[in-house]
Amino acid sequence: MAARTDDDIAIIGWSQSPMVRATNKTETQMLLEVITGAVEHTGITRAELDFTCAGSCDYVAGQAFSFVQNIDAIGAWPPKRDSHVEMDGAWALYEAWVRLLMGDVDVALATGSGRSSTADPGTIYPMEMDPYYLAPLGVDAMTFAGLQAQALVERGAVTERQMAEIAARTRRDAKDNPFAQVSGDFDVDVLLAEDYVRSPLRRHDLPPITDGASAVVIARGDKARELCERPVWITGFAHYAEIHYPGLRDLTKAESVTLAGKAAGLDEAPIQVAELQTAFTHEEPLVASALGLGPDVEINPSGGPLAGNPIMSTGLVRIIEAAARIRDGGTHRALAHSTSGPCLQQNLVCVLEGDER
Amino acid sequence: MGHQPCAIVGIGQTHHKSRRWDVSLGGLVREAARRALDDAEMDWDDIDAVVLGKAPDLFEGVMKPELYLTDALGAVGKPMFRVHTAGSVGGSTGIVASHLVESGRHRRVLAVAYQKQSEGNAQFALGSGKGASLGAGGAFAPFMRSYIYRSGAPLDVGPMVAVKDRENALKNPYAHLKIEDISLEKVKASPMMWDPVRYLESCPSSDGACAVVFTDEVGGREAEAAGRAPAWVLASAVRSEPASFPGRDPVRPQGAVDVANDVYQQVGITNPREQIDCAELYVPFSWYEPMWLEAHLIAEPGEGWQMVESGATALDGDFPVNMSGGVLSSNPIGASGLLRFAEAAMQVRGTAGEHQVDGAKVAMAQAYGASAQYFAMWIVGSSLDPYGS
Amino acid sequence: MTTASRQATIRFPYKRSLGPVMGAFMTALTEQRFLGIRSGDRVICPPREWDPDTAADLSADDLVEVGPAGTVESWTWVAAPGAAHPLDRPFAFALIRLDGADTTLLHAVDAGAIDVMATGMRVAPRWKAERTGHITDVDAFVPGETPEGGGGAGAEEPVTMMEYDAAITYTLPITPNEARDAEWVAQGRFLGLQCPVCGRTYLGSRGYCPVDAVELGAEHEVELPQRGTITNFTIVTPVQYPGQTETDPFPRVHVLLDEHDVVLGYQNLIEVPVEEVRVGLRVQAMWDTTGDAAELEGWIPTGEADVEDPDLVNRIC
Repeated sequence: MAARTDDDIAIIGWSQSPMVRATNKTETQMLLEVITGAVEHTGITRAELDFTCAGSCDYVAGQAFSFVQNIDAIGAWPPKRDSHVEMDGAWALYEAWVRLLMGDVDVALATGSGRSSTADPGTIYPMEMDPYYLAPLGVDAMTFAGLQAQALVERGAVTERQMAEIAARTRRDAKDNPFAQVSGDFDVDVLLAEDYVRSPLRRHDLPPITDGASAVVIARGDKARELCERPVWITGFAHYAEIHYPGLRDLTKAESVTLAGKAAGLDEAPIQVAELQTAFTHEEPLVASALGLGPDVEINPSGGPLAGNPIMSTGLVRIIEAAARIRDGGTHRALAHSTSGPCLQQNLVCVLEGDER
Repeated sequence: MGHQPCAIVGIGQTHHKSRRWDVSLGGLVREAARRALDDAEMDWDDIDAVVLGKAPDLFEGVMKPELYLTDALGAVGKPMFRVHTAGSVGGSTGIVASHLVESGRHRRVLAVAYQKQSEGNAQFALGSGKGASLGAGGAFAPFMRSYIYRSGAPLDVGPMVAVKDRENALKNPYAHLKIEDISLEKVKASPMMWDPVRYLESCPSSDGACAVVFTDEVGGREAEAAGRAPAWVLASAVRSEPASFPGRDPVRPQGAVDVANDVYQQVGITNPREQIDCAELYVPFSWYEPMWLEAHLIAEPGEGWQMVESGATALDGDFPVNMSGGVLSSNPIGASGLLRFAEAAMQVRGTAGEHQVDGAKVAMAQAYGASAQYFAMWIVGSSLDPYGS
Repeated sequence: MTTASRQATIRFPYKRSLGPVMGAFMTALTEQRFLGIRSGDRVICPPREWDPDTAADLSADDLVEVGPAGTVESWTWVAAPGAAHPLDRPFAFALIRLDGADTTLLHAVDAGAIDVMATGMRVAPRWKAERTGHITDVDAFVPGETPEGGGGAGAEEPVTMMEYDAAITYTLPITPNEARDAEWVAQGRFLGLQCPVCGRTYLGSRGYCPVDAVELGAEHEVELPQRGTITNFTIVTPVQYPGQTETDPFPRVHVLLDEHDVVLGYQNLIEVPVEEVRVGLRVQAMWDTTGDAAELEGWIPTGEADVEDPDLVNRIC
């Protein structure tokens, strides 16, 4: 491993809201709390944030320009260098990371936020699809997941029992996650006796509907060391997209996941933990195999999106959970993954490392 | 590490119109992107990453359209990034794309911004469709009244800007509004929509797209050697501030002052009016030209209107503003900022055709959004060292 | 937790232009035909204007007829259809490779029961009787080789546009601050919240100070006065787009409340002819108290002398 320089960028603080089925807070209030939490975790104030970038979605919020009122949570006075992406907070962190690579400012904040509880996902997510050929059919995220799961089952890449085992494992692991929404012990045979929601997916194969927000503070090398005893270094960060219309893709593959992993330098050293934005059970083996993860890699020890899925924040929470594993010790190198679009259309990989100890 | 140089080597835009009913959403963005690639003598394969900008998804009813447009914009197997910073988004899109090059992440980046307002009804969306909707003009009218009172500007200044920008638009083959018989009388005779703003002092609602190809220094030098002048990104900056609180001045927002100071400092500009050859400023309503000239420190407080009145901001003036015809002549909201940024680059490349400012070497572009609270700005030059330091 | 909430439905009728390739595809649907587009040695259906892998232009000249029957390549059973779905009884969404095409089309299969569904099964379209050039001109696919339904003629003119009517209903929680604010308004009073850090006062529904980024709550409440001065205004000449309820020019004024540094923006001014609206005019709140809860109708002149202050017009925020 090369010595860290000032051009290396580290995660130095974070905060996430409890994942809940429905909050009575506004998105701005949720953000206000997690930003306060992240700067306090870092031991700084909002005034020390040189750049801020938010990830949120008007269709989740139910309002055009919804992110504009969220600026109230940042404390942007005096005015701040600031941006917003209509993407998961993981991509907001990517923009913040690129901004720090420029070298002229030292500390940045990224957030992700959304209240999925406010509307039926079955009416929102068709709006994300091909507006001519897909949206008018009301094709939702669960349907795309079902089509991909069916293709994987028929290819022999996963079985319904393995999917149920993933559901049981992640929710059991989530018992140790104070932020989790769905956790507990589940009997696989009982789960498999349930009806399909979108065959071959049953309720346990699906993520919950979750409201939540998260915030991450990053800093350039020297500043990170000054502010933080145990910075978590971002050693690789990349995202790739593939064709939108699922009928034009081989749904048993996740090529953009592989591309992102390679570009993020995943192959350079072994990792111990992977936090994947696999919101549907069958996606876990698909993404893990696309990344070439061996059986020794611990996947979603937090419980992952199956334990709490705050859309627009789910990916950034993966990065927080991976960073927390490194900060807590025991894990030296970890990856976090985020995704967007039907059948894992767009994927991001962030590789994190602690200092050698 | 520091910034690595970034060059603009390709620019494309659509013909902007009220309704581009001849094209699909994919067709619209591809029209602009193809022109930018052709201008750069590149093909889709040559691009390493794509950045897409647009204002609210509710306007066209396509959520996160970067997903649907990934393959339309040749981004399969590449990074596709989506920016949304309200009206300033087109500017932010260009800045994010330039950062991907300047940070060394990518060598060639395509930025695309668009809006197809005819698919939905933007006015309706902005006003939530309920009751006595103000529209954007109604929201900004009090800011302009405040400017008029505090500056003592003659009331003809707004109409003069409206005439000047529409005259410039007549020289721009891509502009939406082409009002051949535009005149002060005609503007003043148009209906008072949002007192003090008249119909002809307001922007249209347009369908349109803009695309820009960015490369690293090697790419810029190659284009230069091949006789295709690049524009170099000399500085960029963004600022945001809350919409309202007691003590905020939305007429001369601190963010507008700070963003200008930031880019001037990066380039070493101490006298913007002298050292910048021309500017594209986001002027959706006529009075915003003198307001931004002051807030961006090009004119002293209370003197921006004098630049308009004296003809300094005309195409043949000493500080031309909105040579393209500006937002007052074409307003595909999400693309409007990138159109400003692209026009500034065209000027320093010397490719602006009939609306070219002779000998332009340094140009500035700006976009703003929401309640005059989001700002994006850049300065581009015909060389990396325009002042021969 | 039980939380008060309000509902809001976002409903927009969208009108989409199709361009040459999708326009031809939709026109063919009205004629009960499917078109794919040739790109290299493969045929893509549904067709698009670009090759999805290379983004190269594809031309409407390269459209070829495919189908009407096809083979299911993947599917998922929808046991409980939602309102946005094409069928109201259990059905499958399937990826269907139409005969002659190399890619799959996503559509519904009306198979009756999940047991009927299988990858590799043959399906054919069931056409609607009324076809407008829309992906839903196919009501659904059905098992077998033979198209069903349909009849009547295709479109007389080429189809160039499609309608898309989307509606999403949001249920938004009412926060404690919003609830408190609504209580005060119902009593014909203005609730303010004063920031403990900077001392600025905000309307009670806001809930935070954007300057200091601190939450404001019950402990920060102050009562705001009912009188103030107009600092700025606009007269709006209404444009008759959908939802506009006004027909004549109407004023919207900014009111700076007495004692507190609070500006209420874009307020309704009543009983004042538009030509008499001016900066400095003294006004007071006018409440409609005829119902159970008071509602702010707008502001009326107090009759006091105008305030002469050249800086007043700058008080907008």
